[in-house]
Amino acid sequence: MNTLLLLLAGFFLPLFPLSMAFNWLLGRFNNPVVRVLLILVWPQIGVLLVLAAGVPLTGSVFLWWGLITAAFYAWRLLTVRELGQWAAMLATSAFALTWVMAADGARAIDLHAFVLGFAVAPALLVVITTLLERRLGAAYSGLVTGMARDIPRLAGLITVVLLAAMALPISPGFFVMLDLLLESHPAPVIVALLTWLLWSWAGTRLLRDTVFGPRSGKNVADLPVPLAWAFAGVIVAAVVLNLIWTGV
Amino acid sequence: MSRLTLGHRLKIRSMVHMAAEPIPFFWPMRTFIHHNPLHGLEHLPFEQGVRQGEQLFHGRGFLPRTDYQRYHAEGKVDDATLGDDIRRFLAERDAIGELDLQGLLQTLLCRTPETVGVRLDLADADDIKCAIDGGTSCAEETADIDALHERLARQFPPERPLYESIDLLFGTEIGTTLDELVIKSCLDFFDEGQSTLQMPGREHGFFTAWSALAKRNLRLFLRGLHIKKILAQDASAEGVIAYVLGELGIEEAHWDGLITRELTRLHGWAGFIRWRSSAKRYHWSQTYPGDLIDFLAIRLVLGLALIREHARRKRLPATFPELSHYLEQHTAECYLRQAYHGGTVQPEWAHRVDDALAHKHPGRINRLLPEYLQAERIAETRRQADRLLSLAEAAGQTEALKALDADQTDALLTLLDEFEDGEGMMWLRAMEAVYRKSVLNEIKLLPPAKREKRPFAQALFCIDVRSERIRRQLEHVGDYQTFGIAGFFGVPVSFIGLGKGTELDLCPVQITPKNVVLEVPTGATQIETDFYSSASHVLHDVKSSVLSPYFTVEAIGLLFGFDMIGKTVAPRVYDRWRNRIEPKDASTRLLIDKLSREQGDSIVRSLQRVTIVRAIGQELGIDRDAITDSMIRELREIAMGNKEGTSEFARQFALSPAAEADFIETLRDEYRINPSFVSMQMERLGKIGFSTDEQVYFVGQALRMMGMKETFSRFVILAGHASESDNNPYESALDCGACGGGHGLVSARVLAQMANKSEVRRRLAEQGIHIPDDTWFVPAQHNTTSDEIVLHDLDLLPTSHLVYMERLRNGLRAASRLCAAERLPTLEEGVDPNLDTTTAYRHIQRNTSDWTQVRPEWGLARNAAVVVGGRHLTEDMNLDGRSFLLSYDYKLDTKGRLLDTILSGPLIIGEWINLEHYFSAVDNEGFGSGSKAYHNVAGRFGVMTGNLSDIRTGLPSQTVLKDGRPYHEPLRLLVIVEAPVPHVLAAAGRVPKALSLIVNGWINVVVADPESGHLHFFDRGEWHDLGPAPQRAKQLESIDAEESPA
Repeated sequence: MNTLLLLLAGFFLPLFPLSMAFNWLLGRFNNPVVRVLLILVWPQIGVLLVLAAGVPLTGSVFLWWGLITAAFYAWRLLTVRELGQWAAMLATSAFALTWVMAADGARAIDLHAFVLGFAVAPALLVVITTLLERRLGAAYSGLVTGMARDIPRLAGLITVVLLAAMALPISPGFFVMLDLLLESHPAPVIVALLTWLLWSWAGTRLLRDTVFGPRSGKNVADLPVPLAWAFAGVIVAAVVLNLIWTGV
Repeated sequence: MSRLTLGHRLKIRSMVHMAAEPIPFFWPMRTFIHHNPLHGLEHLPFEQGVRQGEQLFHGRGFLPRTDYQRYHAEGKVDDATLGDDIRRFLAERDAIGELDLQGLLQTLLCRTPETVGVRLDLADADDIKCAIDGGTSCAEETADIDALHERLARQFPPERPLYESIDLLFGTEIGTTLDELVIKSCLDFFDEGQSTLQMPGREHGFFTAWSALAKRNLRLFLRGLHIKKILAQDASAEGVIAYVLGELGIEEAHWDGLITRELTRLHGWAGFIRWRSSAKRYHWSQTYPGDLIDFLAIRLVLGLALIREHARRKRLPATFPELSHYLEQHTAECYLRQAYHGGTVQPEWAHRVDDALAHKHPGRINRLLPEYLQAERIAETRRQADRLLSLAEAAGQTEALKALDADQTDALLTLLDEFEDGEGMMWLRAMEAVYRKSVLNEIKLLPPAKREKRPFAQALFCIDVRSERIRRQLEHVGDYQTFGIAGFFGVPVSFIGLGKGTELDLCPVQITPKNVVLEVPTGATQIETDFYSSASHVLHDVKSSVLSPYFTVEAIGLLFGFDMIGKTVAPRVYDRWRNRIEPKDASTRLLIDKLSREQGDSIVRSLQRVTIVRAIGQELGIDRDAITDSMIRELREIAMGNKEGTSEFARQFALSPAAEADFIETLRDEYRINPSFVSMQMERLGKIGFSTDEQVYFVGQALRMMGMKETFSRFVILAGHASESDNNPYESALDCGACGGGHGLVSARVLAQMANKSEVRRRLAEQGIHIPDDTWFVPAQHNTTSDEIVLHDLDLLPTSHLVYMERLRNGLRAASRLCAAERLPTLEEGVDPNLDTTTAYRHIQRNTSDWTQVRPEWGLARNAAVVVGGRHLTEDMNLDGRSFLLSYDYKLDTKGRLLDTILSGPLIIGEWINLEHYFSAVDNEGFGSGSKAYHNVAGRFGVMTGNLSDIRTGLPSQTVLKDGRPYHEPLRLLVIVEAPVPHVLAAAGRVPKALSLIVNGWINVVVADPESGHLHFFDRGEWHDLGPAPQRAKQLESIDAEESPA
C-alpha cells in the first residue's frame, strides 16, 4: 500500500482538508458542463489512485478520515443555502464514503460504480442550479419559495433530484448506500448512517425552502415540457442502469 | 397580588379591549357564523376599511390584476365604469407631457399583468429617465448610506414586536416558536373535550392556570426559558403585561400599537377568545374563563423569555433601546441583514451577503455595502425603466414617454403608484356594474298578477341563495306559490334538544332569544339504548383513552377497516345499511307553550323530592322504601325555611338534633334545596315556551312580512334548511345562517305549531289575517346538499289532508330532482347535458355520505344580491342560485317597522355572508382558511392547518375556489328593495347599522320604487335615479303601442 498515492487520492475522493481543492474547483467554474464533468470524473481518478495503492487498505486511518469527512460535510449541508455549493458538499460527503468500501476491499468495478452512483444526484443538482440561476438570478434556498405552484415542472424535478440526493429508494444513491451498509463493520456503519440521516435532514430543509412554503409570486418560465421529459429520461436511465448493476 | 394600582390595571384592560376592536369574533364551528372578517372596520368607508384590514391582518382586499383581467376578457367587467373611474382619478391631476393618461391607465389595467408604479427605494427619477433613454451608465452614483439608518429606524418602530425585528435582522425564528408555544397553551386551556388529559386548574382562568403550569414546566426550563422569574414579578395578567413591556423598553405611548400587532399575529385565536369572553351564556366560558388580557400576558411572557434566551446565547439585542443602538452602530450590517433575511436581497448577491454576514467582520461588511447598494440601485432602475417602456409600448406611447424629462418621469411614477393603490376598487365597481345591470334589466317592477284561485300549496323557504333554485323549480312543476323569509321564521328560539343539556340559540347572532323551547319525547317510539348505541359509546371511549389505542388497533382495528371501505367504495349503499342498524330518532314534540306559575312550582317541587331521596340515600344510606312521601315533603319544607323543629324523618331514624341540622344544611348547600335556587329554577322555567300573545305576534309578523294576509293554501310548508355531509368540520357553515349556523327545522316546527293553534288563528283574524280552517302549516327540512325536502310532524296532519299528500310529495320530489340536475354540472366535471334527473339526483345524493368529498355542495358561493320585495319581481328570472330572496310587501308595512326588522337582521346576515365569501375568495390564505385537505380539528371548536397553526377563520378554498381560481365572484352585495324611496330612507334612518353599511359602501343598494316605476341607486354618497325599470318601460311601450291607433 502506497501512502503517498493514498494521500494523493485524498484530493479526489475528498478527505478534509484536502477536500477544499475539489470544492474550490467546483466553485471556480461556472460552466455547468465543466462542473458536471468534474463531479463525474474527479472521483474516478481517486478510485484509480486507490486501486493503484492497493486495496483492501491496511489500518483504519483512511477509513475513519473518510467517514469523518463525510459526516462533517453532511453537517455543513444544513447551513448551506446556495444550491451549487450544496451539490458540491453533498458530492464531497458522498465520495468520502468510498474509503469505507476501499477499506473493505471492494472490487475495482464496484468502486467505480460506487462513486458513479453517488455522482448522479450532485451532477443533476448542478444542472438544476443553472436552470434556477437563469430564471431567478440565483439558486438560493429561502429566497423564492412555493415553487411547486409557480413552476411545477421545475419544482417536480427539484423534488425528485433532492430525494435522490437523500439516497432514498429507488435512487442509485440508495443502493450504493445499502451496499456499503451491508458490506461494512458496525462502527463505520453507524457513522455512515448518521451521514445519511444528515443528508435527509438537509435535503428536507432545502425542499421546504424552495418547493414548498408560501408562493413568492415570481413570474418566471417553467421548465419546457421537452426538457422535463429529457430529465425524466436521464433519471429513469440512471435508475435502470443502477438496478442492472445491483442485479435487482 | 398585583403591584399595579387598580387604575393602571383598568387602563391596560381598556387598552387591550380597544386594540382588539378590529379583530372579528370567531364563533365555534359547531355553529359556524358567516361574518365579515373586517367587521370591526365597518365604521369606515369600504375602501379605507379594506386598506386598514390589509395592514392589520396581512391579507389582500382585492383580487390580483390578472384575475380581474380574466373577468374582463369574459365580459364580466364594465368598460364604461372602468373608463369613468379612470377619468375621475385623472380629473384631480395635472397632465404629464404629451402622454394620453386615460389610454395609458386603461392599458395598464387591461393589458399589463405586473404592477408598474412600485415605490422606489434607491433609484431616482434621473436614473430611470437615463435608463429609458437607453443610457448604459445610469445609477452609477452611490446611494446615500447615511440615509439608510433613517430608513431602518422607520422599518423597526417600537410598535413592531421586538422578536419580529430580531427575526428579520438575525434570521432567528423567535416569532414562529412563540406562536407555537402560545397555540399549544391555547389548545390546552380552551379544549372542549377533544383531549383525553385536561389542563389542571382551568376553572381559575387562563392566565392563572397557565402560569401555575408554566412555573413547573421542565421543558421550557430546559430550553433556557426562565418563565418563573418573569411570573414572579406580578400575579395579575395586567401586571405582567406592564412588566414585560417595561422590560422591553417600550414607552407607554406605543403600547396600544404594539398590543394590536401582538393580537393580530394570531387573529384567529384572538377572535375566538374575544368572542368566548363576551359569550356569557357559553358553557365553556362560564366554566373556564379566559380573555384577551390573559392571552396577551401569556404571549408577552413567553416572548420575553425567548428574546432573553436568544440574547444570552447569540448576543442579540434584548430590549428596544438596545435594538435602536445596534441599528445605529451597525447600520450597514443591519441593512444587509434585513435584505438577506427578509428575502429582498438581490439574488445574485445573496451568497456574498451571506458570507459577509457570517464572518461578522465590520470592515468586510462596510466594503460590501456600497457595492451592493449600487447593484441594487442599477437593478431597480433597469426594472422600473423596462416596466415603463413595456407599458408605453403596449399603449402606443413610447415616444411620448421618452419625451418626458426627469421631473415628469417622477410625476408619472407617483401617479402610477397612486393609481395602482386604488385600482382594486375600480375593478370591483366595474364588475359590480355588469352584474347590477344584468339583474336590473330583468327585474319586473310591475304590480303582481292577480291569482284566480288559491295555489295548491304555499311554501316558505329561507332567504338563503340555495332556496332560489328549489323555489324556481317548485313553481315550475306545479301550482305552488313560494315565499322567502329568514330561516328562523322570525322566531328567536333557544332550543334544548332531546337528551341535550345545553341551549342552542336558533336565530341570528345579533339577537339573544328570550324563549326556551324544549324537545320532549311523545313516547310513540322507544328511545333506543340498544347494542349498537352501547357499542358506539364503548368504541368512542376506547379510542379516546390514553393507553387503549395501543391494543385496540390490533383487537378491533378491522372493524374500522370495514367502515372505511364502506364509506369510500360505496358510500350511498353503506350509508343506507348503517341507517338501518342505527337507532331511529325518537318521535318528539316541542314544548312551546308557557308554563303557568303553578305548573312551574309543581315541576320544581317534584325535582326537589327526587333530589332529597337521592341525598338520603347518598348521605345516610337509607333506601327509598324506608321513607314516606310525607317525610320527604317535611324535609323539603324545613330546608326551604318554611318549617322549624324536629322532623318525622329524624325521629324515625333516631337522628340527633345536630345530625339532623347537618343533614338539612347539606340539603341546602350541596343539593341546593334552598329558596334562592328555587327562584332561579322558576326563572328558568319561566323562559320555557311562548305566551299566546307572543305566539300571535310572531305568527302575525311572519305572515305580514311576506305579504300573506289572505289566500292561504291547504298546505303551507315551512321549509327550514340544513346540509348533510360526512367528515366535514365546515358542515355548520352550510347550515342556516339565520338560525345561528344550526338547522332550520326546529324553527319551522315552532312556527307551524303556533300557526296551527286555533286560539292563535282566532286572534290573528281579529288583526285582519284570516287563516282558513283547512289550512295546515307543515314543517319541512330542505337538505341543501341533496335538495331533498322532507316533511315533518305528519302525524298531526288532519285526516282531510291525507288524500293530497301524494300530489304534494310528487311535486316536492320533482322539484328536488330538477334542482339536483341543475346543480350537478357545477359540482362535477363532464356531466352529460342530457343526463336524466333521477341519475343526477342520485349523483348529488352521494355527496351527503361520501366522506372523501371535500365539496359536498357549493353552499352560498357566488352569492351576489338580495331582493327584498314580492316574488313577482323575479318570478321569470333564473337567478342562478345567487340571490337571497326575501318576501316583503311594503303596503302591509305602513309604519316601516317590518322593513326596520329586515334591515337590522336579514340584511346584515346577508352582508356578513357576502363579505365572508368575498374576502375568502380574494385572499384565501389571508382571510380564508386555505385548503381543507390540511385541516385538523382543534379543541372541537375550530380547525388548524396542520397540527399547529392559528385558528383558521373564513372559508376553505374548496368553498370559494375552483381549480385555484375564484368560483365565487367577489362582489359586494347588491340589495334591491321594492318600496317607495321615502319609505326605504325612513327605515334606513331608523337602523343606524344599516345606514352605516349603505353610506360606507359595504353594500350596494338599489331602491325599486313601485309607485314611480324608477330605480334608484346609491353610489358615492348620493342617490342616482337610473330611470324606469327596463321591464316596466318595455311593458309601457307595448301598452302604448296597443293603444295607439294603427
